[in-house]
Amino acid sequence: MHVEILYRPAHALARVVLAPYESVTAESGALVGMSPNLKLETQSGGLLSGVKRFFGGESFFRNTFTAPAERGEVLLAHALCGDLRVLDLTQAGFFLQSSAFVAATPNVQVETALGGLRNFFSGAGLFVLRVTAASPGLLVFGAFGGIEELVCDGNLVIDTGHLVAWDATLDYTIGKSASGWLMSFLSGEGLVCRFRGQGRIWIQSRSPSAYGRKVGSLLPPRKG
Amino acid sequence: MQHAITHGPSFALLRVDLLPGESVVGEAGSMVARHDELAMQVRLNAGESQSSWARVKALIVALVRRFIGGETLFVNHFSTARGGSVWLAPPLAGQIVHRRLNGELLLLSRGAYLAHTGAVTLNLKFGGLRGLLAKQGAFFLAVSGHGDLWFSSYGGVEPIDVTGSYVIDNGHLVGYEGDLSFSIRSAGGGLLGLVASGEGLVCEFHGHGRLWIQTRNLQSLVGWLGPLLPR
Repeated sequence: MHVEILYRPAHALARVVLAPYESVTAESGALVGMSPNLKLETQSGGLLSGVKRFFGGESFFRNTFTAPAERGEVLLAHALCGDLRVLDLTQAGFFLQSSAFVAATPNVQVETALGGLRNFFSGAGLFVLRVTAASPGLLVFGAFGGIEELVCDGNLVIDTGHLVAWDATLDYTIGKSASGWLMSFLSGEGLVCRFRGQGRIWIQSRSPSAYGRKVGSLLPPRKG
Repeated sequence: MQHAITHGPSFALLRVDLLPGESVVGEAGSMVARHDELAMQVRLNAGESQSSWARVKALIVALVRRFIGGETLFVNHFSTARGGSVWLAPPLAGQIVHRRLNGELLLLSRGAYLAHTGAVTLNLKFGGLRGLLAKQGAFFLAVSGHGDLWFSSYGGVEPIDVTGSYVIDNGHLVGYEGDLSFSIRSAGGGLLGLVASGEGLVCEFHGHGRLWIQTRNLQSLVGWLGPLLPR
């Protein structure tokens, strides 16, 4: 499987080229186009995991595209304006904001991790995704705006609205951005993730919720 | 201090690298990430103040700014004894512009301010009826002093060097140098031009200096989006 990212960074498109008999698993709704020889299978992975995914902020279904005896290609995109990034899967795996998943090689295990209250407060819903694989593979994820890779050396504080993905080697806590709750509220930063340990963090240069608040406040009020 | 603007023009991100003892001030809510070595302090967006009366005055000024100027009430001061970086971004899709101020005056439209360093003062300037008609609110943010300033746009940003005069649509105004002045007039001339051209009122700038326009207009986005939303 070979992935090429076009139209970066504002309207990125992933062109996934599949060798004969290769497959790629993509988020439902991510399909833009595909060669006609590809076989499309939709799976929910059982009702329970489908429901779990649904509540994790993803779609209920995920699609697998498989090439026949000749090569094929599939074009995939994220819902929001912004960049896409391809990562080689690591032993430790990644954590991903639930809406960031776009596609992966079929050997990837995507688990919806119920992070409990701390994730609820991160503004990203109750769930994060844990992405792991026993063998080498690729992950494609999307973001709102540009994607910047930061190297954490035990000391990074990230606004939860800008957090997209991070190495599972990192430990994190969700907390207030300033010294007190009042000051955190006044600072406009809301909640932040404090990362400990060594690893990479991918951030998005725009926050969907901050954008929504800015534009939403100017829209006419809804009736009823 | 060093800085870098990346991911422009659509989704610009600002990184400011601070040396030990340096500091930077950012608009409330603009922080994307920071090193833990940077302390963040929330302050009223009303300049430095020492005495308790000065603090009350600062609160009043900050409230006026919030409700009239359309700015946030608070700014965040990032300082460090050990050095480190902070990443900042505006809420809307657009570019970030850096400007080194050496004592000159700059006027910014509401919402355009992102961050500054050094001895830079921010004051509200009443634009009078012109400012009100210019849809930018009756107030501009007057920025002056010595230091670095970063401001943001909705869409790309284009600097225009005015010699004599230049006309721009008022919803596209980001900021202008204090040596320039502007007057409001109908785009097409007369009442018919005002109504029929679809351009409404425009700002005609006079003098010699630089102004910045943005390639998209927030009011147009809202005007387009509003009727499409479910009621």
